Amino acid sequence: MLDLGGVEARRRRRRVRAFEAAVFVPVLLALALLATLFFDVITDSFSWQVIAPHNSGRSFAFAEGFAFHRTWENVVRLELLAQGRTPEEVDALLADPEARRLFAARNRVELMPWVDGLPLRWLVTSSRDDHVADLPLFEGVGRRRELLASAEPGQVVLLNAWLDWSFFLKNASRSPAMAGLLPALVGSLMLIALVILLAVPLGVGTAVYLEEYAGDTPFSRLVELNLSNLAGVPSVVYGILGLSVFVRLLGLGPVILAGALTLTLLVVPVVVVAAREAIRSVPDSLRQAAYGLGATRSQVVFRVVLPGAVSGITTGVILAVARALGETAPLLVIGAAAFVPRPPAGPLSPFTAIPIQVYNWVSENDVEFTHVASAAIVVLLLVLGVLYSLAFYLRRRYESRW
Amino acid sequence: MTDTAGIPAETVRTAPVPPEESALVITGLSLWYGGYQAIHDVSLTVPRNQVTALIGASGSGKSTLLRSINRMNDLVEGVRVEGSVTYDGVELYGPDVDPVEVRRRIGMVFQKPNPFPKSIYENVAFGPRLMGFRGDMDALVERALREAALWDEVEDKLRSSGLGLSGGQQQRLCIARALASDPSVILMDEPTSALDPIATDRIERLIDDLKRDYTVLIVTHNMQQAGRVSDRTAFMHLGRLVEEGPTDLIFTNPKHELTERYVSGRFG
Repeated sequence: MLDLGGVEARRRRRRVRAFEAAVFVPVLLALALLATLFFDVITDSFSWQVIAPHNSGRSFAFAEGFAFHRTWENVVRLELLAQGRTPEEVDALLADPEARRLFAARNRVELMPWVDGLPLRWLVTSSRDDHVADLPLFEGVGRRRELLASAEPGQVVLLNAWLDWSFFLKNASRSPAMAGLLPALVGSLMLIALVILLAVPLGVGTAVYLEEYAGDTPFSRLVELNLSNLAGVPSVVYGILGLSVFVRLLGLGPVILAGALTLTLLVVPVVVVAAREAIRSVPDSLRQAAYGLGATRSQVVFRVVLPGAVSGITTGVILAVARALGETAPLLVIGAAAFVPRPPAGPLSPFTAIPIQVYNWVSENDVEFTHVASAAIVVLLLVLGVLYSLAFYLRRRYESRW
Repeated sequence: MTDTAGIPAETVRTAPVPPEESALVITGLSLWYGGYQAIHDVSLTVPRNQVTALIGASGSGKSTLLRSINRMNDLVEGVRVEGSVTYDGVELYGPDVDPVEVRRRIGMVFQKPNPFPKSIYENVAFGPRLMGFRGDMDALVERALREAALWDEVEDKLRSSGLGLSGGQQQRLCIARALASDPSVILMDEPTSALDPIATDRIERLIDDLKRDYTVLIVTHNMQQAGRVSDRTAFMHLGRLVEEGPTDLIFTNPKHELTERYVSGRFG
């Protein structure tokens, strides 16, 4: 009688399952750590606050204040009326550009998840507000009745979402409530745009040269060896290179262009490796077909090889950009500014970037800057997440090509 | 059979091609890959508007010989060629000759169908576009597809990918792609070895039609195929051309012992 489920077979199956479970543990661990990180920064970007407002201290329902394109004006009007001005005075103030500019410089229209027991309220906060208390999200949930009861007359108890729409529009400030991500966000976007502009032609060109033109010569082997070495150099070292070459020798100073050139050095090896792999994955039979039809070497590169490799190259470029986006050390070394009040005007302006801004905010003493830093980290992680998803999507599409 | 014993010093030739019918003339061609000599002093005349088959065992140099005609071997590093190949009296290995120009006039079809990952239309238009063709591309594409006996099957899906076709259709698409450049000679390197018998039959009938307008040189492993499609056959062994002549004579009455053993299936 044939025994297909005996003791031996059962023991083996158990061993296989145990091994599978053991391999799965690190995956679970990594997922748990990632979830903890997200949970931590997201909860840190909320806080319960008690403030002594400089303005009226009145909040307005979402529907009351919201108006497409004119929300700011709408809420400011409600606030000014609440301060006891007449409708005529309010109209005159809002019609005067100088008065509007002054008001906007000192006050923020913010949508709070919870104010004085009411959900989703507009509140006009001022740089002159006095911040009485600041409690973490979970601590405050249980104690909100207590907070409301203990608040002195005129004080406002609110749940502040530090990451709101106005966070993207505010400039840098010494006051946490007024500090926004705009200069760092614009700085990072300009850096990335310049890095793409510089690294793609350089990296793809090198990859095309190595794969399609250079034979197995001592020179090409030297280039290859150096590329793999460069990919392993710590990023701080690139910062020092950028400082001595771009900032000092070329005399650019600590500007966006110098930062972009430094980050380009950092990511070009990554782009080259990814582009070479993508170029190698284009079947040789297609090159043969094109040569057989009388294509020149450059026609083969531009009409067959690069079109076939473009999604792989794009994936590599996105991963390289994601790396550049998160880099802090080289930018600190070349002298990215600690405090940049307004978005940079162009590639030759002093700048800051999101990771540097985060670094500066977490170094501040004021506990409220923790929330600002967390909000910035959430933005950074979201941008990175979008970039990685894009890379993943492109890779999936391109795997099924041949 | 790894030694050169039994290979005649001179190629055995039956009913040589008269000079007025010759299109391609290969004279004393030798080829080295680095230090390894793959072709030894081969001379062969290919007649115009006929199909010539190159047969021989694996490693006999028949594909290499085919690739030296349109100078595809120039792309391989460390290749050295001696001897001469002429078409209509023009030396293809002359000092001023651009290999790219040679390849534009001598079309090639490969062992495995290799359409580009583009539309059927763009596959056929690829060659003319390389040369900066400015005329009526639609008409050109239609003509090439008709000549390759594919038009009726793809007429209504010219914009869909060439990779969506069956293997046999892909190979005919590759033939159409070669024809669109209006070549004088078509080289085929085992064009049906990756295809099923029905697709093979279509390609063989197509080759028979093509010789009206083109000179065809085909490498094949399949001796029945050589017998069915070719007018003349050349038998290669270990980089040397052993015997060549009209196909019926090579198959029914081979003069050399090696040829006799190969066509009767006793080796290779």
